[in-house]
Amino acid sequence: MLGPPAARLDLDAAPPSNPLRTRRPAAGLAVSGAWLPAVLAIVGWWALPIGRPNRPFLTLEPELYAVAIGHPLLWLALFAAVAALALSFLPIATARRGDLVLVAGVVGLASVVAWFMLSTIPFGVGALLVLAGLVMLLGNALSESGRVQGDAFIASSILFVSLFVLLFIIYPLFTVLRSSIYIDGRFDFSVFLRTMRHPLFFMLGNERSAVDEVALTLRWGLAGLVGFGAFALWRRARWTAILTRAVLGGALGLVVGVLLYGNGALPTSLLLVSIVAPTATMLGLAFALLGQRARFGAVRRSLDVISILPIITPPFVLAFAMIFLLGRRGLITYNLLDMSSGWIFGLPGVAIAQILAFTPIAYLLLRGSLSSLNPALEEAAQTLGAGPWVTMRTITWPLVRPGLAAAFLLSMIESLADFGNPIILGGNRKYMATEVYLSLTGRFNPNEAAVYGAVLLLMVLGAFFLQRWWLGGGSFVTVTGKPTSGALAPIPRGLEIGLTVVLFVWTVFVAALYLSIVVGSFAQLWGVNYTFTLKHYQDFFSGAGWAVLLFTARVAAVSAVPAMLLGFLVAYLVSRQRFWGRRFVEFGSLLSFATPGTVMGVAYIFAFNTGPVLLTASATIIVIALVFRNMPVAIRAAVAGLAQIDPSLEEASTMLRAKSLTTMRRVLFPLLINTLVTGLIFAFVTAMTAVSQVIFLVSPGNQFATVLLLGWVDQGQLGRAAAMGTILIVSLLLVIVVVLQLARMLGARMVGVRT
Amino acid sequence: MKRFAVLLIAASALFLGQAQAQRVNLLCSPDLAWCEALGPAFKEATGFDLEFQRLSSNDGLARLRAEAANPIFDAWFGGTGDPHLIAFREGLTEFYEPTVWDEIIQDLKDQVGGTYIPLYAGALGFVVNEGVLDGKPMPQSWRDLTDPMYKGLIAMPDPNSSGTAYTIIATLVQIFGEEEAFEILAGLHQNIAQYTSSGSAPGQLAGRGEVAIAIQFMHDGVKFAAQGFPLVSYAPVEGTGYEIGGLSLIANSPNRDAAIAFIEWALTPEAQVLAGELGDSYQIQSNMNTPAHPLAPDFAAINLINYDFNTFGTPEVKERLVGRWTNEIFPTPR
Repeated sequence: MLGPPAARLDLDAAPPSNPLRTRRPAAGLAVSGAWLPAVLAIVGWWALPIGRPNRPFLTLEPELYAVAIGHPLLWLALFAAVAALALSFLPIATARRGDLVLVAGVVGLASVVAWFMLSTIPFGVGALLVLAGLVMLLGNALSESGRVQGDAFIASSILFVSLFVLLFIIYPLFTVLRSSIYIDGRFDFSVFLRTMRHPLFFMLGNERSAVDEVALTLRWGLAGLVGFGAFALWRRARWTAILTRAVLGGALGLVVGVLLYGNGALPTSLLLVSIVAPTATMLGLAFALLGQRARFGAVRRSLDVISILPIITPPFVLAFAMIFLLGRRGLITYNLLDMSSGWIFGLPGVAIAQILAFTPIAYLLLRGSLSSLNPALEEAAQTLGAGPWVTMRTITWPLVRPGLAAAFLLSMIESLADFGNPIILGGNRKYMATEVYLSLTGRFNPNEAAVYGAVLLLMVLGAFFLQRWWLGGGSFVTVTGKPTSGALAPIPRGLEIGLTVVLFVWTVFVAALYLSIVVGSFAQLWGVNYTFTLKHYQDFFSGAGWAVLLFTARVAAVSAVPAMLLGFLVAYLVSRQRFWGRRFVEFGSLLSFATPGTVMGVAYIFAFNTGPVLLTASATIIVIALVFRNMPVAIRAAVAGLAQIDPSLEEASTMLRAKSLTTMRRVLFPLLINTLVTGLIFAFVTAMTAVSQVIFLVSPGNQFATVLLLGWVDQGQLGRAAAMGTILIVSLLLVIVVVLQLARMLGARMVGVRT
Repeated sequence: MKRFAVLLIAASALFLGQAQAQRVNLLCSPDLAWCEALGPAFKEATGFDLEFQRLSSNDGLARLRAEAANPIFDAWFGGTGDPHLIAFREGLTEFYEPTVWDEIIQDLKDQVGGTYIPLYAGALGFVVNEGVLDGKPMPQSWRDLTDPMYKGLIAMPDPNSSGTAYTIIATLVQIFGEEEAFEILAGLHQNIAQYTSSGSAPGQLAGRGEVAIAIQFMHDGVKFAAQGFPLVSYAPVEGTGYEIGGLSLIANSPNRDAAIAFIEWALTPEAQVLAGELGDSYQIQSNMNTPAHPLAPDFAAINLINYDFNTFGTPEVKERLVGRWTNEIFPTPR
């Protein structure tokens, strides 16, 4: 089934140093490989327009050719490319020539970029070729001069990846963060401070409520201080330890107090996270234990299905199904339990919806980390006389801790960034991710949106580094290169029965939810009139729905391929190569994963609406947003896959004088085909159901299915929404099953032929 | 390397290759069904193509602002007037006087002056699901809404995210004066089950029985009733405010001629009847020659206040009133 999405971009493991790559290149290559990219750049410069008048891309405006513009910087770029071409054919020592070409490449690239920044003319087709040519030329030069260990392909890839990260992740985020404190051309902290003090963001002391929230919070702080201090005293800790624990306890108490009594988006989102993340993680662990070790095969198989459901479910639809089951007139609450209350709108509803959505993701992660445990350890414990409970507590639990931390972090990030559930079920509370959207659209305040975005981003990054710091020491690796075998310790029987009951309730509830979506799509009026009808499907196929769905599928498919290839490339570079800037690439991909979609969407509008990188109002910008959104998932899948492949295979290929691209294509690709296809499907499916990152990027003629869905939901067209939901769920499920099956067959054949 | 270069060129040509033809890019804020009905009819009448992006009027203004330096849209069709007014004051839109200007209802023209073109008018009211009231009387006035028996049964949009909610506050202030209006809002706050982020969501909640009473525009209530929800819509006895839907020409629009052709067409009775016939939209249309749809709320029977769009449409007044609501009403515990 599908691999788990990225939780921890586990790129830290140091790549093995490859002795074959440390040599300086042999002198005396007759012709430098830089000639081809140089030609590319020259052709782009001469034959195609370097700029374009505005949004239309494929125009051949004569006045926007570099020759017609005739700016000195442009001439300099051409001169540099021609010089590089000439140098390529000169008989000089390779390393020396590499240095010279390097200089030419840097001059060329710098002058083109400088010209674009000065002129702010949008880039044209020619510029793409010029830039790509110059970057590849630099890659060649870096490799031949021996400044980068690796061939031209590796060096160019490093350059391209770094440039992409800079341009499509760091730069937009920088733009949006800057606009939270840099307003109308100067630094201005007033919006920042005003937002921070606004009751919608955070308010503790509410003078209108009967209770004194500040005093209550302080009481919690005091209780924490005393409680932790007393506990440390009782444990006879040293006085410094007592002091630190008391202070920590006090701080914890204050946080609890703020969460309980505070108002506004910040405490609400934090409270939500502190409910959802632990619950989803624990449920995920329970299911993972069942999935791996349950005595009944049926239990394991049902988990496989449950685990992919949230990935293929479009946003909003499940939240609506919940209203129909649990709302004031809900099928379960009103018709079965005879309750009549709107409790579902607010924290409880959002929390349930999020737990439903994120538990399967935690499950996938934890199943991975459980199955990589070495059973011999558990066996050893049992041979030494430990019972199942003791084994579980002393062996299994400590070993899954990193997996738990990863699952916890992932649920946290997802919960903070979740847009669809709070906007439908949020009730009267405010949530950070929706406030980013609402402060921009409802209050027309982009600077305020930037402030919310910045705070949200800092929270996510804080959580990420906290996790890294917590797991920093200690090795949890139990899988060594050699295959291990052994029987898995069964779960204690009492625990298994308990967990199976939980799973059963879960399954029934989830089944009811999905069933109600299908029923809703065939009902005259979901929630009111359940007469059977096909009109929603007719409306869907005759109205805008079908065309938009096709367009969305095309965009998602186009975005999935580069996301997967780029992810694979980044994974290869960071896990197999050492280079300057590796940390930067890692950090960039972490950022693109951790940034909530609404923040990234705003950032793209801020960054790409004018100037050289004009991209708005096109399908391209949606594709790019989705590529960089889904790339980290592909990276993680590929890193995990690469970790299982012995580098000696690649070394053998290199030794036989294969270039790195050939090695990648003929050794790694066939071996990783399953992983890569899984990454591809995952990227496709998440692109199909993405909403928060594209909601600002859609434009006339470039509609996205989920955004259309939001429109229908907004206007009460729930039948049509349910029909689209059903079609999406069923077709994505089909795609997953069919493609995975194909990949399995293809992978077997490719490996069979080539090894 | 060669292969890589070829691949790169192919890839860039593949997904960047899309040219744009001359057409109207419409920012469309009313019901999606209405937006969808426009394209084919406009093409038939004028031969121009039309692509639209449906965004609520608030989202629309946000997009126009974000894209101000390089607009994507040519015209802005529908949506409540305040954002149109703000867009005009910020220079995002320009006023265009259509040739059918004389046929536009005079009152509407007087209200908006030369800022945007009135497209339709719709009045605020109560949208009630009687089944959920469990025998309680239907509220007849704004003051009735503060009665504790309606606790947890009322929904209205959130002033911090919805223009409709601001129209509600501004209406109350104009009927009762500011202090009394905020007293009513405070009482109402005690009964509110949910402040929704979108202006038409309260009616849906009422339709599905999540609440009994929704405060919103009546024509949206009529629309939900036409879809089959058990709802009735009516105006409160003290009088009610209304919105004027706008039609604006985007400043520096990329296809100005096509945009003007669209505006001219959109104000004709033939175009305006589409709202009710195909668009699930039951507002009063701005051209006096457009026949009213039978389901549209009858303005003659409603006690409409003399809504002061010029005062209450300014961002300063709006910011002050919404800020006061956010600081005084919203944090009050219930």
